[in-house]
Amino acid sequence: MRIVDLLSKDSILLNGAPKSKAEAIDMLVDLQVKGGNISDREIYKQGILAREEKGSTAVGEGIAIPHAKSSAVTAPSLAAMTVPGGVDYEALDDEPSDVLFMIAAPDTNADVHLEVLSRLMTLLMDEDFRENLLSAKDVDEFLAVIDKAEKEKYPDEPTVPEEPENTDRIKVLAVTACPTGIAHTYMAAEALEKAGKKLGITIKVETNGSGGAKNILTDKEIAECDGIIVAADKSVEMARFDGKKVLATKVSDGIKIPEELIERIEKGDAPVYHHEGGAASSSSSVSNESFGRKMYKHLMNGVSNMLPFTVAGGIFIALAFLIDTMMGVQPGDNFGTVTPVAAFFKTIGGYAFNFMIPVLAGYIGKSIADRPGFLVGLVGGYLATTGSTFAKIGGDVPSGFLGALLAGFVGGFLMLVLEKLCDKMPKALNGIKPVLIYPLAGLGIIAVVMCAVNPFMGIINTAIADFLNHMGTESKIFLGVILGAMMSIDMGGPFNKAAYVFGTAAIATGGYDIMAAVMIGGMVPPIAIALSTTFFKSRWTEEERKNGPVNYIMGLSFITEGAIPYAAADPLRVIPACMVGAGVAGGLSMAFNCTLMAPHGGIFVFAVVGNWPMYLVSLAIGSVVSMLLLALLKKKKTVKEPETKNVK
Amino acid sequence: MVTKTVTVVNEQGLHMRPAGQLAAEMKKFPGCTITIASGDKTAKATAVMQIMAAGLKKGAIVEITADGDNEQAALDKAVELFESGFGE
Repeated sequence: MRIVDLLSKDSILLNGAPKSKAEAIDMLVDLQVKGGNISDREIYKQGILAREEKGSTAVGEGIAIPHAKSSAVTAPSLAAMTVPGGVDYEALDDEPSDVLFMIAAPDTNADVHLEVLSRLMTLLMDEDFRENLLSAKDVDEFLAVIDKAEKEKYPDEPTVPEEPENTDRIKVLAVTACPTGIAHTYMAAEALEKAGKKLGITIKVETNGSGGAKNILTDKEIAECDGIIVAADKSVEMARFDGKKVLATKVSDGIKIPEELIERIEKGDAPVYHHEGGAASSSSSVSNESFGRKMYKHLMNGVSNMLPFTVAGGIFIALAFLIDTMMGVQPGDNFGTVTPVAAFFKTIGGYAFNFMIPVLAGYIGKSIADRPGFLVGLVGGYLATTGSTFAKIGGDVPSGFLGALLAGFVGGFLMLVLEKLCDKMPKALNGIKPVLIYPLAGLGIIAVVMCAVNPFMGIINTAIADFLNHMGTESKIFLGVILGAMMSIDMGGPFNKAAYVFGTAAIATGGYDIMAAVMIGGMVPPIAIALSTTFFKSRWTEEERKNGPVNYIMGLSFITEGAIPYAAADPLRVIPACMVGAGVAGGLSMAFNCTLMAPHGGIFVFAVVGNWPMYLVSLAIGSVVSMLLLALLKKKKTVKEPETKNVK
Repeated sequence: MVTKTVTVVNEQGLHMRPAGQLAAEMKKFPGCTITIASGDKTAKATAVMQIMAAGLKKGAIVEITADGDNEQAALDKAVELFESGFGE
């Protein structure tokens, strides 16, 4: 509690000339009122006068310190007046008083009054100090004299006043996290730390980035803090914050308005968090979030975990095609697996791909319902790839990533309902709920759901196949458009499979132009996305942009799956854009009479493509169309490049 | 030289009024040097500003030392003032 912090400029009067003690008191009380910490002038003045009744506060040496504790005081404050020549303040030694400080203290039991008094006295005992005060030319010099003396007498004190109680305690904690965990997590952390420093409030920020959590908050810190800021676009571990004030918000708020967040915590303007979900280690349900935002968070949790599988698997498969090409293998049914090394890459890459869809669903489920949700999502996602139905339990038509999205969300929310229902079960069963009851019931439910949904995929598949067969080859261009578009609707679901099977079947009957249209339709989505991440960076997240170039390779290798993470993150915009471009490419391929005799291989089998220059042109046009549509449909990300963001 | 240890009982600590009272009483023993010490702070018991500068809070342990004429009487008076809470 420094004197200079209690003494505002408005509360200082130099060279005052009161004629009596009463007038001096009046002037000092007015100065206190100007300082702004007196709610009722008269009540405060009565307190001062009552104190003077008990004995003068002029302690000698020309010093008078009138003071009062009063309910009319809102915060501790000081007023000061110098009186050259002095005023008769009825001092004990009958000397006139020339340095007057008036103390206002709130009516509490705190020792602030005694501390201020002690400090004033320590300073005022020094005669030079009193002389300097009296000779100060203006208010600034007056304050500078006090500041200098205080720094000499109390050298250990920092200039910024710290909380008197428990100074090593960290007041505000924060957790930052974004789905990708590359940039925003750390930018928000930095912004919060800076803001804390500026406000003089101790803060510690835990970053839940892609490399795992860093600077982890300890239980002790959580217990002692005033509140926690959770600036996250994905789930973070919340159980540890039970009973604390938690301000849950977007990661971008941590970057944009860090000071406001910290101030809200300091004011206590945050709801107390109550964790639900028992033994579960983390929670996704942060209050005060819109339904759409929560859904997005769950979705991105799945997508960001799926992405590594897509990238690694896709590159392995592309390598396999490259190796077979270099070994001079003739493109055919088993292209990419002919030489042993190619087979190694193609097979392993394919196995990695097999995890892609289950992982997507699994992590969506986990985001919604913690660990119990992981199992239902993962298995549900796998059932989407096998296409299991009650009639054909071993698998029929896969429902692809769209089915997996369904499995993740439905499974996750089913588990939440299930947990609610299980609340009514006897307490004795609590221990086995997470290890037996949730997994068992969850597995049963998701199996039934997926087996019930998958037949519709079969029906769609059959209907499309029939449709394609009946369409025949009368309108070649139209057929090309339809096939190309179908390839990119679900990228592995019933539409894609129907088109692909139709294309490979056509090879057998000599319809090489059909296969060409099918393959080009599957090549457009990844290439379009890669182009878009290159030329329209603002439409994508940091991580999406970073993985963009890989999609050139995947697109050229006819690995449509490369587009799945992008489509899954924003299906309603990405899929239509891809479909149109793929359709255009398919139609053009037909129009140019391009042909293909191999069922797979992308650019590596262009050697066997008939009219390949126009095939390439078709591909380029379709990809550009999709790219432009993506730019049109997708909104710019609110939070843009890091470079522009750090500028405040 | 005589010495005794007392504890501040006043709710508000040794603020201005008790400090003034102590100084006034101790001035009645002119031939005696009376000091009070608490922690690393010491003050002449006759100097009201020094006493206040020490900022003695409630519960502070204070060692009173008197040295000179009438030292026992001076010490007794000081102890009495502290223990009575300076009439508060």
